[in-house]
Amino acid sequence: MATAGPSSSSNSRSESSNNASGGAEGGGEDATDSSNFECNICLDTAKDAVISMCGHLFCWPCLHQWLETRPNNQTCPVCKAAISREKVIPLYGRGSGNQQDPRDKLPPRPPGQRTEPEPQNGFMPGFGFGDGGGFQFHFGIGAFPFGIFTTFNNWGGGAAVPPAPGTQQYQEERFLSQVLMAMALLFLLWLILV
Amino acid sequence: MALKRINKEMRELERDPPGQCSVGPIANDPFHCQATIIGPTGTPFEGGLFDLRIDFPDDYPFRPPKVWFTTKIFHPNISDRGSICLDILSQNWSPTLSISKVLLIICALLTDPNPDDPWRKDIAELYVNDREKYESTAREWTAQFATA
Repeated sequence: MATAGPSSSSNSRSESSNNASGGAEGGGEDATDSSNFECNICLDTAKDAVISMCGHLFCWPCLHQWLETRPNNQTCPVCKAAISREKVIPLYGRGSGNQQDPRDKLPPRPPGQRTEPEPQNGFMPGFGFGDGGGFQFHFGIGAFPFGIFTTFNNWGGGAAVPPAPGTQQYQEERFLSQVLMAMALLFLLWLILV
Repeated sequence: MALKRINKEMRELERDPPGQCSVGPIANDPFHCQATIIGPTGTPFEGGLFDLRIDFPDDYPFRPPKVWFTTKIFHPNISDRGSICLDILSQNWSPTLSISKVLLIICALLTDPNPDDPWRKDIAELYVNDREKYESTAREWTAQFATA
């Protein structure tokens, strides 16, 4: 028998490996692997394969007929999960390119759904707002006062050159940073104690 | 499609025959089969051989096969005429079920009757209220109708 099953798979597997080592064409390999890719309805290797959201493989014509048989109660034949024409994914193997487009056949197989990948800033300069242009969104959970203060501190942007020691501005900034440090410590203490 | 699938099931049954039943086509017509179930041990059907008929619809496996006992059997879920009260043979059918799975489920039904959904209320009541009487009657029927 050419078909593979649990009882014969080990034999045909060793045969096919022998064939491969002998340089012969492994005709048994198909038989070994095909049981994993059998349609759950016709029990043959799935043709025009589709896969349900619950992961079960079918020929599209088989599944289509099953869905037509019970239009009001469309469930997966294997696990009884809800299933529908819109919620199956067609599988395109490498060999399928040589065959006739399955969607030209009846019943038409539902199309694949393709989602564009997320554009990645930095790696794709064309999509960004200039390299290092600083157009960035930050989403985060911050401790309220520091968020505010750090934002205000950085407001100056590129002009944040530290003032020379001894000037009034230097004194003010020192005072401000000390106050902020004290607040940070208080806040940390409050977090730990409360 | 239906023929191909039935032939595939028959080949699998030949290669890996189930222990408690056998199936074969009637007059080489794969759409009409005869099956035999060996009465499960530890039940009043032990020692009996029960014949069933299996008729496959043209659109098998999308619709369930018709399965019924041709041997008389004393069981709450099996009618006088051999009809089997089993959800998977009607509304809960799935095309992934095969004839060997169906027969296995029927064997399980022989072991564990379901008195809540009976074909024969008298037998179901006996099964619930007077298990001894149920078992002795079922054993008598097995000896009378299901032994060669």
